Amino acid sequence: MKDRNYIHSIQIDTSKCIGCSHCMRVCSTQAIRIVEGFARIQPGRCVDCGECYRVCPQRAVYAKDDGLDAVSSEGYRIALVPSVFIGQFPSEYSATRVLDAVKQVGFDEVFEVEQAVDFMKEAYKSIAEKSVSRPLISSFCPAVVRLIQVQYPSLTELIMQVKAPHDIAALYLRKSKEKDGGIPERIYIYYVTPCAAKTVAARAPVGELQSPIDATINMTEIFNKASKIMVGNKNSGLHKTFANMSPDSVNWSLSGTEKKYFPGRSLAIDGMDNVIEFLEKLESGHISGIDFLEMRACDQGCAGGILCPGNRFLAVERLEHRQKRLLKLKDTHGGSERNPLMAFKDTLHGLSGVDPVYPREGLLLDDDMEKTLIKLQRIDRLMSYFPGFDCGACGAPGCRSLAEDIVRGKASISHCVFVQRVMEKNYKLSPDQAFVVIEKIWGRNRLNKYRDSDGKESFTAY
Amino acid sequence: MKMHYDIEGGNFSAAGRASSEIKKTLKQFNIAPALVRRIAIALYEAEVNVVAHAWKGTMNVDLTPEGINVVVEDEGPGIEDIGKAMEEGFSTASDRVRQMGFGAGMGLPNIRKNCDEMYLSSTPGVGTRLEIKVYFGASSVCESCHRNFPAE
Repeated sequence: MKDRNYIHSIQIDTSKCIGCSHCMRVCSTQAIRIVEGFARIQPGRCVDCGECYRVCPQRAVYAKDDGLDAVSSEGYRIALVPSVFIGQFPSEYSATRVLDAVKQVGFDEVFEVEQAVDFMKEAYKSIAEKSVSRPLISSFCPAVVRLIQVQYPSLTELIMQVKAPHDIAALYLRKSKEKDGGIPERIYIYYVTPCAAKTVAARAPVGELQSPIDATINMTEIFNKASKIMVGNKNSGLHKTFANMSPDSVNWSLSGTEKKYFPGRSLAIDGMDNVIEFLEKLESGHISGIDFLEMRACDQGCAGGILCPGNRFLAVERLEHRQKRLLKLKDTHGGSERNPLMAFKDTLHGLSGVDPVYPREGLLLDDDMEKTLIKLQRIDRLMSYFPGFDCGACGAPGCRSLAEDIVRGKASISHCVFVQRVMEKNYKLSPDQAFVVIEKIWGRNRLNKYRDSDGKESFTAY
Repeated sequence: MKMHYDIEGGNFSAAGRASSEIKKTLKQFNIAPALVRRIAIALYEAEVNVVAHAWKGTMNVDLTPEGINVVVEDEGPGIEDIGKAMEEGFSTASDRVRQMGFGAGMGLPNIRKNCDEMYLSSTPGVGTRLEIKVYFGASSVCESCHRNFPAE
């Protein structure tokens, strides 16, 4: 397997999951099945976009992270905080105040990720000159990168071979601490993540062996801890005295800022469905003359991340407000910015590249061509038996998915409840057998619920 | 495996449906992703040609382990001068079609670029027949991505 440390952040808590199949229906890569009453994620297909997390009524889908427990008590601990975190708080809380609260949660230093964006802007210019393939696709959103690996294998070569801003920020911190005499092994960098995909990117990066991030922490967890520290203390007097990055950098993770920094024609596309629709067209050759695609799996970019506790539209508005304040600061200093990261830009240029991204085999039916053809023909035949309205009663998201599961040996034709009726009519399947099939998908005792007219529940009355 | 699709002339919003379906099937094959894209682009251009110029047409696909053979036949005005139609930038598309972003005169040259064999015949006033072949080739496995690659 080419993904050497291949893991997923999105997990199902079976103590909470009731197998309601909401997640299965929204999954963009058809990665979820219901098996024995619980949702089960197929690791080969999951891209950690978190759409299932959003819809789960039981809160059974969770995003695994390293957590605050991973924060070492020894060494020098740095928290990397993305700007969207600051956007979770009302504008009267200054960024400096918010970052100070994060520090008090248990870090020696706090650094805002978007300070690395000034470097990204320069890097994009040189990438645009060097690379001939077009359109280049932003490598910023790890869910988009993984979606392309799984669903659009022919487009992986268009993914930009550059690290994301939080990796650049981490590299800068390491380099600058080392320069000041810090011991590399004693520096721990924690990333406060707005989504599951960024956790996966830190643990199992594509295009590099190891991420410069040591651990990720759920943004909601830090939000709760930092809020407690700041409560009732809106104005601590902590403010910036100069602009430490260019003002629009704070909006980089949202939709529409990144695309401005790639020369030529560029588009900003956000939201999983929109991204899929566009990639589908791009892969089929319907799109030409575009130089750059900024893509975000979440609507409104990272402000819509599944681990952001606040409202995405409020966060966007607050970051726009913050951009204006930075602009004012910049103006009062004669238009100058003081971003310490840019002093290391030459070192960073040498470290910012990654290897090409390779496709994953999630879609392949078989390694062998003859066998694939036979399987495709079987799928065709199976599709003629199925009703074709994707009811999901078989525990797969649609008739086509069930047919594929069957030829992969992971399901049987009797999983389709319509085929079951026909089989029962033709005495090919007994009602008892049909019952067992349904229980295998939806779990034991799922069907023996019965309420009498008084509303009393009984498990034996059927 | 054989697949059949009908193509509706003049319906630009539906142009690309048949080639997208075929592309989805090809993605389940262990062939180089770049090859899938080449085929998808060639078939899309062929489909758009029918939509832009003809009244109606069909796309018939024959998929084997060795390669893909696609025949696109249409009922329409046909092509007066095939040699000229193959030139880059030559197009007989109407202004209306050009305004929709089609008709740049790159369709047939693009098809030729993206397939291994191409046969084009036409009877003016009756219709056009286009046959495209792409061979998957004696495959070798790419070391970095473990996918099959066609032999050069």
